[in-house]
Amino acid sequence: MKILVADDSRVMRQIVIRTLRQAGYDDHDIVEAEDGADALSKVSSEQPDLVLSDWNMPNMTGFECLQAMRSAGSVVPFGFVTSEGSPEMREKAASAGAMFLIAKPFTEDTFREHLDGMLA
Amino acid sequence: MSTPDTGERRRSSDHRPVITELIDEATVQSIAEDVWTALVGEDEILLPIPGELPADVVSSWVDVVGPWTGTVVLTTGRESAAGLTRALLGDHAPAELEDDDVADAFGEIANVVGGNVKAALPGPSALSLPDVGDAPAVRNPADLCRVDVLWRGEPLSISVQGALPALPFPPSTETTLNQNGVSL
Repeated sequence: MKILVADDSRVMRQIVIRTLRQAGYDDHDIVEAEDGADALSKVSSEQPDLVLSDWNMPNMTGFECLQAMRSAGSVVPFGFVTSEGSPEMREKAASAGAMFLIAKPFTEDTFREHLDGMLA
Repeated sequence: MSTPDTGERRRSSDHRPVITELIDEATVQSIAEDVWTALVGEDEILLPIPGELPADVVSSWVDVVGPWTGTVVLTTGRESAAGLTRALLGDHAPAELEDDDVADAFGEIANVVGGNVKAALPGPSALSLPDVGDAPAVRNPADLCRVDVLWRGEPLSISVQGALPALPFPPSTETTLNQNGVSL
């Protein structure tokens, strides 16, 4: 599978990728995007099987990226990895078509809990 | 003679909670501990002991805008900020850290701490992107929840500080002395 990891923080992209490996998902291709606009572009060009995206990013937020994807007919599974884990953000994410929301800080167990059905 | 409009009448009739009504030091400390364990390292501990910040400090912060509006500010010595950056980067840490690396890593820690502080406050609220540099001034000492800790023996402060009321302009000497409680 190909996983698109979108976060404007390079350090956080590395931590997400490291946590994916620690959770046992080390045989997947990883593509990185540095904001929502880059992620939207790479959803088309890279055809990922899963998008893991931050929420707050410059240029285009992760939420706007998800909305644009769904408006364009894309059904690629999408999950947020964000510091905003309040119930209202989870509800907003779900209503826009996100499969899950992983709140930062996360552990490899959190990743397994949300991704095992898809990646294991 | 006209009386200057200080906004005092409007503020007194439009009660906004101060941060100490909404969150306490123990909650902020707990949020920070969880962030350190998950991001910095499993064995990384924040000791709830105040220490004197060095002269050369750097801050990272995010703004929260909502029923309570203010800023979550982390401040530590530049060496500690570099140490945090190396811990977050792990094996990917370069031999020589760039300023951008520290801004990215220390800013992301503020983002995660701030996001969790925001989740503990009444909503709906919006969270800004992180910023790094000289700490924003404390505008109202009564609207401040500050935690001082030691990480690897080095002092670090976490300040949840209200943005209202606005600072007087031009800033008075007293305001300057109130800046975040740290020497910048």
